[in-house]
Parts: sequence; structure tokens; C-alpha cells
Amino acid sequence: MAYQLYRNTTLGNSLQESLDELIQSQQITPQLALQVLLQFDKAINSALAQRVRNRVNFRGSLNTYRFCDNVWTFVLNDVEFREVTELVKVDKVKIVACDGKSKYGIGYK
Amino acid sequence: MERRAEAPPPQGLDFTVENVEKALHQLYYDPNIENKNLAQKWLMQAQVSPQAWHFSWLLLNMDKVPEIQYFGASALHIKISRYWNDIPADQYESLKSQLFTHITRFASGSKIVLTRLCVALASLALSMMPEAWPCAVADMVRMFQAEDSNVDGRARCLALLELLTVLPEEFQTSRLPQYRKGQDPELFDTAVEAVVNAISQPDAQRYVNTLLKLIPPVLGLQEQLRQAVQSGDMETSHGICRIAVALGENHSRALLDQVEHWQSFLALVNMIMFCTGIPGHYPVNETTSSLTLTFWYTLQDDILSFEPDKQAVYQQVYRPVYFQLVDVLLHKAQFPSDEEYGFWSSDEKEQFRIYRVDISDTLMYVYEMLGAELLSSLYDKLGRLLTNTEQPSTWQHTEALLYGFQSIAETIDVNYSDVVPGLIGLIPRISISNVQLADTVMFTIGALSEWLADHPVMINNVLPLVLQALGNPELSISSVSTLKKICRECKYDLPPYAANIVAVSQEVLMKQIHKTSQCMWLMQALGFLLSALQVEEILKNLHSLITPYIQQLEKLADETPNPSNKLAIIHILGLLSNLFTTLDISHHDDDHESTEVKKQPVQQGPNPVVVVLQQVFQLIQKVLSKWLNDAQVVESVCAIFEKSVKTLLDDFAPMVPQLCEMLGQMYSTIPQASAIDLTRQLVHIFAHEPAHFPPIKALFLLVTSVTLTLFQQGPRDHPDIVDSFMQLLAQALKRKPDLFLCSNLDVKAVFQCGVLSLKFPEAPTVKASCGFFTELLPRCGEIAPVGQVVHENGKVLLQAVLEGVGGQASRSLMDHFAEILFALNKHCFSYLSVWIKEAMQQDGFPSARVSPEQKETFSQQILSRERVNKRRVKEMVKEFTLLCRGLHGTEYTADY
Repeated sequence: MAYQLYRNTTLGNSLQESLDELIQSQQITPQLALQVLLQFDKAINSALAQRVRNRVNFRGSLNTYRFCDNVWTFVLNDVEFREVTELVKVDKVKIVACDGKSKYGIGYK
Repeated sequence: MERRAEAPPPQGLDFTVENVEKALHQLYYDPNIENKNLAQKWLMQAQVSPQAWHFSWLLLNMDKVPEIQYFGASALHIKISRYWNDIPADQYESLKSQLFTHITRFASGSKIVLTRLCVALASLALSMMPEAWPCAVADMVRMFQAEDSNVDGRARCLALLELLTVLPEEFQTSRLPQYRKGQDPELFDTAVEAVVNAISQPDAQRYVNTLLKLIPPVLGLQEQLRQAVQSGDMETSHGICRIAVALGENHSRALLDQVEHWQSFLALVNMIMFCTGIPGHYPVNETTSSLTLTFWYTLQDDILSFEPDKQAVYQQVYRPVYFQLVDVLLHKAQFPSDEEYGFWSSDEKEQFRIYRVDISDTLMYVYEMLGAELLSSLYDKLGRLLTNTEQPSTWQHTEALLYGFQSIAETIDVNYSDVVPGLIGLIPRISISNVQLADTVMFTIGALSEWLADHPVMINNVLPLVLQALGNPELSISSVSTLKKICRECKYDLPPYAANIVAVSQEVLMKQIHKTSQCMWLMQALGFLLSALQVEEILKNLHSLITPYIQQLEKLADETPNPSNKLAIIHILGLLSNLFTTLDISHHDDDHESTEVKKQPVQQGPNPVVVVLQQVFQLIQKVLSKWLNDAQVVESVCAIFEKSVKTLLDDFAPMVPQLCEMLGQMYSTIPQASAIDLTRQLVHIFAHEPAHFPPIKALFLLVTSVTLTLFQQGPRDHPDIVDSFMQLLAQALKRKPDLFLCSNLDVKAVFQCGVLSLKFPEAPTVKASCGFFTELLPRCGEIAPVGQVVHENGKVLLQAVLEGVGGQASRSLMDHFAEILFALNKHCFSYLSVWIKEAMQQDGFPSARVSPEQKETFSQQILSRERVNKRRVKEMVKEFTLLCRGLHGTEYTADY
């Protein structure tokens, strides 16, 4: 089972919206919608692992850190993101990180 | 055990268990060599006799001594391997399962017997495959993974390993007819898979002794690995590497802890090093080296996690290993010959680029452990390479070393390294014969820009190189991004060079050497550069920089609009925007302490950007008047002012009246979202500046009234305008609520538009509308017209909110709707209590799926004591929305 944390992204939310509509109009069942979401989890986890290879460096001040259920959550302030072409500064960043090596990754929010 | 010699069994004696045992005893213990020989002859006949099928099993009984058991196993093996045809096909399964049973029993018993039984099973498998037992290896693995077995896991693991070890040997030595032998790569793959899985099982880390025992057989695969590498057999080298890495990566901590076995583990580490350095280029000649990279992180982490005493010992052993690793990685990172590279597909080139980034990441990590010594080492190597006149170096070699520097310098604070000055001194000595090398030189300089800011005396060693590179279109990205970094980090030390940088930049812009994006970055770089100069200098440079573009724009403004001059106009406007984004003389973005000393005193007089904007304002208006219909051009115009306002903030004040007038005219003619966004910014920045606010107030009222008209005509075609408008209203309420006291503002109409906007299908629009109401409702008390409108029309708002919750709006927006309910609760509680009762009375509202009881429950919850807890209100809304949508209790929405 792949990580579910990408469901709350623009892409994930758009997919859920569409699925909701199809359920409302009774064109699909909630069970089928769930299968679609699980497939989405697999696809996006795989795509991000295999097909995205740009590197961005960032640094900032650590506000809070938390490690629970094998998930790290960080909140950083005054963060600078540096990529080859861009420098972006933001006041606050929240990072949710799951173990990339875990074969037994279970979905966490 | 001594016994009196007994007479040997005569020929023809029955091959019974008892006789066999007697003969075995005679073989092992009879002092008379003649008797031994006789016994041996007899036993050999016994082994091949038909009775062997019977007595072998009996000899394997647990009460027998190992020599006897061994003979039984051996006999079985011989029968299976040489007398396969004796066995009727319907006996295969029984034979198989009996062997399995015995193997599991002997997993914790005598090893020699176990081995022989495994060999027997292997022989069985080879004879039965592929027809009678197609998935033998998989079956074997599964058999030993069986969790319900009463044999312990470690023993099972050992047994399986033994089986898989002998399988290939048996294959080699078996007497299978030639046609049955032959390539079976699938078998190899499955075997690798099985071993890797077994090693990688989370449980395996408990069996440290077993893991230690695994190292020698794994090391034993090195010869095969070497041969595979030599013959170019990528599959085999890949598979063996996977096994070594699986053992090393999964269990490095446990194995490192076994201090007495440090040599053994070191041998494994060196085997993995061999894999990292596999000859050939990734990904064309080999795909194995990349498998090893994460192992090096893991090993480093484990070494560095030890307490200082233990760590010191391991550092002694492994620091040299990691230095070697750096050499290996830099070698692997080298580009191939130009000719060879030319033959690579674009996919292969991209994979190689990614591979180099992975190497870069690894080097960065390794720097944590090796520290400054690593930089010194790289520097020495580079120095020797560049000063060695006897053996000219290849550009690939130089580039790889520089790449190593770049990887480390990019993220590590190298301020305290003493090799950087030397490195910078070496850079001009590099003969830049090649685009890749040039790019890497540029990026290395860029990576050192922060260092240069602290050591400005060295800037001039590298700046000429960067400026020269600017003229080369092949180096566009690397040269422009490097210049930008230098201008950003070192701006206070660049005034002596400013004129030159501007001149070179102008030249390359005129010659159109760079693509649009890079032109924009270049302008941003110049913005940084100019912001550190004195005002007169800024104006002078701006003038020379911008004049050609102003002239172009004047010409274009006179022409009839067409696609090609549109592009040109947008390009010029873009250049100006980007320049103004970074041209900030108040320096409120700087956070370096060291720059405090270098800052000029606060400038008096108008901001140079404002001066320029005022000069070009009329021209921009002219352009606008011709292009009012074109959303992109309007956006570009607004972008100039938007970027300027963001950078200048209060300094923009002198331009406010002109801009408001222009925006008002623009919006009255053709409403567009970008104009509203700019209005919103002005409201935000000047809300508390009474001197400057009146034109903004007038603009706000105008925009509102025009937009209200739009709503009457049909807003559905303009979700972006509605979105921006709602955001403008929210901003006004936040920063300047007394705008809503204006008699010119029809608060009721605005309210009704907001309600309509809640029903748009576009999520950003709905979100903005929710935001508007969330800002509006708290003002009920302080702004009388707002209070009045809310009390008179609030029920309609509530209905719209409930409609959305009931299923009309996207589920992802429910938190925003909940905020409205929360605000209604807080600021209009008594009204809400009435409205919600009335609304819920309607049959089938807000959804046919909820019962009257469920609606009642929800209403009560909303009005209950929990209404002051925003998180709870959101939860209530979410639960109710699931009920309304028929999704409550489904696994699909379990995490909602």
C-alpha cells in the first residue's frame, strides 16, 4: 500500500472532486472510487520517485519538529528555496515526510 | 566406539536397515582395512538397490547417529539423480513433500545431513522442472517462509539458504542430458529475488550470527561478479550487486556492532565499492553502480551514531574507505568522450544527468564525515591536474573535480575553508574547451557567491569570466544564473564594476543572445546591482539601460496591434517588471548582518524607480489604450506596477493618483482581474496613509460599482474577476472597513453578489467568497450598514452555505464554509438560531439523503456550546456533508 499523503494536493483534490460527482450521480460506487484513489496513490508515489529529478535546496529556522507513527512533521520559518534558476523566500513552511525506503509504508496523513 | 571385529556380511545379504547400519558401523569403525573395503563395496551396492528407496527414510530417523543419517540422505540423492526413471510420476509429489519435511527437521540438526538432503531436493527439482514442477524455486521459498511452521525462523532461513546455494552447484554437476541444461536466467533472477527478500525481511536483523555467516557466501560471489563485468553480463552483475547491497544496507548497524568481525564486514564494504566503481558509463554500459549509493549514506549514518570512543575506531578504518569512495564517484561522474556522448540518446543523457545529481548528493553527505580534509584533497588533485605540463588532462577529468567542489560548496557553509582562495585562483587556469566544462565552472562560481560576499577582494578574479560567458548562447543558463547570484549576494561590493556589467548586459540583450527567461533573470540581476548604487548613479544607468527599450516601445505603440508586435510589447514590459522586482534601494529584504556596515544611508528624494515610472507612464497609457482588449498585455502592464509597488511600498506614493486614474479608466472600459488585483495591493499598502488614500478610495468605489453591473449582466463567464473582486472586498474589510460606511457603496448589492459567488463551480472563486463573508460578519457590530444588511439578508446567506454543504460545493471547501458558520455563530447567534430552524424545515433540504433527525442533530450541534470551538465546528460540518452526500461510513472517505 502506497502513501496516501498526496491526496491532499491540487491533483488529488481534483480527482476526489470528480469521483464525488460520479458517486453523487450514481455512476460509480464508493468502493470503486476508493479503488481509483488507491491506484492514484500508487501512480503518484511511483511518478514522484522515478520521474522527478530536479533538486531544490532549502534552509530556514526550525520552529517545531515531530516524529510520530514513522512520519516526520517539521514547521520552518523564514525559509529560502534555491533552485538553479530561482530563489524563493517564504515565511512558513510545513514539511510532512514519510520514509522513502520503507517497503511496508502504510498510508498516513 | 570400539567393537570386536565382526565377519563382513556375505554377498547377497539383504539390503535391510539393520544390515546397512551394521555395514556402516563396520565401514567407520572396523580396524581391519579389508573389512572396511568389503563393507564399502556392499554399501555402494545397497545405495543403488531398489530397497534404497525404503531404507533411506528409515536411516534418517532422528534417533540415528549422523553418519547413518548421512548415508540415508546420500542414498536418496544418488537414487534421485541417477535413477530418476525408477520413480513413477505419481510418486513425485510424495517424494517432494517427504524431502521438505526432512529438510525442515534437519534445519536445526546435523549440517552435513541437511546439505545432502538439500542436494537431493535440488536434484529432484532439476529433474522435475519445468514440466512437472514449474515454479520450483518460488515454491521452495514459499515453503520456508511458511509462518505457521513450528520450526523457528532462523533455522528455516538457513535451510533455504543452503538449498539455494546447492541448487546451482547441482545444476552444474548433474548428469542431466544436455538438452535439459542450458541458460536459465529466470532461475538466476528468482534466486536473487529470493535471497534479497530473505535478507531484507525486517525480522532478519535479529539473527546476527546468521547474517555474519552470510557474508562469506556473498563474498564468494565476487568471482562470478568479476567475470560478469568482464563479459558485459549486466544482468548478473546487477543481481549480485543487489545481494551485496541488501546485506550491507539493511544490516550495517548490526554487522558493524560485531567488532570482532570487522574485517569480514570491511570485505563486504569493499565488494560494494567495486560495484560502485563498475567500469563503464552509466547508464549506457552499466546500470549497477547506482544501486550502491544509498548504502554509503546508511553506513555513514551508522558510523557517526556510535559513541565517541567506538566511533574513533571505526573512523580510522572507514575514513580511508570514504576517501576512496570520493575518487570512485568522481571518476564515475566523468563525461564520456565527445564522440561517444554524441551517440547517446536524449533519454540516456538525461539519465546520466540525474545520476550525476545523485553523486552530487552523495558527495554532499560524505562531506559531513570527511570535512575540510576532503576539500583540501580535491584542491590538491585539481592543482596537480592543472599544473602538470607533461600529461595534459582531459576536460572530463577537470570537470568532474570541479563538479565535486560545486556539489559541496552549494549547500555547505564554506566560509571557513582555506582552499577556496586557491580554487578561485586556479579557475582562470582552466582551459575552457568544452560547453560542459564551462557550465560547471559557472555553476561552481555561482555556488561560491556567498563566500565571495565575505571576501570581495576575489570578485574580480571571476567576474570577467562570467561576463565573457554571457556572450555565449550555449552558456546562457549557467552564465546568467551565476551573474544573478553574484549580483544578489555581493551587490554592495559591485559598484566599481557596475558600469561594465551594465554595458555587457546591454550588449547581449541587444544582440538577442538569450531566450526570454534568461533575459528576465538578467534584468533581475541588474536590479540587484543597481540597488546598491547612489541615486544619481542608478538614474544614469537606468537611463542608458532602458532608453533603447522605451524607443522601441514608442514605435510599437504607434503600430496597429498584431501578433508579432504584441510579443515584442510583452517582452519589453516583462523586462521592466523584472528590473523593478529587485531594484530596491531601501534594502528591507536584506538579512545579512555583515551588510549593515556596507549599506548607504537612507536616500532622500524620490525613488529612482518612481522617477522612471513617471517618465514612461504616458507611454504605458498609450500602449494600454490600444491594447485594452488583450488580457495578456493588460496583465503585463499591471505586472510592472504590481512588482514596483511590492518593492517600493510607501515609496510608490507619488504615483498613486496617476495609477488609480489609469486603472479606473481601464476597468470601466473592460473589466479585468489583474486591475482588481492591483487595486487590492494599493488598498493593502496605503490603507493607513490618509494622505494617499483618497484616490484609492475612489478607485475602490468605481471598481465595485462596475463589477456590480457585471453581476447584473451575467457573471458566470468571469469567475476570475469574481474571485479577485471577493478578495478585494475581504482586503478592504480587513484593512479599511470604514470604506463600507460610504454612502456610495451599495452594501446590500455587494452582499447579494457574495451569495451568488458562493455558488460558482470554480473552487478558487468559492474560496474567495467564503473569505469575504468571514471578514464581513465580524463587522456587524462596528459598521452599521453591514450589520443591517446581514440581519436582513443573512438567511439567504445561510441557505447558500447549507446548499454548499449539502452537496453543491466541492468537499474540499467544507472548512471554508464552516468558517462562515462559525462567524455567524459568533456575531449573529440569535439570528442564526432562527434561520437555521427555518432552513432545515424544508423537505429534502439541503439534501434528500438526510433524515429530519439528522438535520435536527446537526442544527443543535451547530448552536451548542461547542460552537465556540472552530475545530469542532469544522468537524460537525464535515460529518454532516458526508451524510448529505451519502458518503458517511464509506472506506472511500475514511480519512476525510
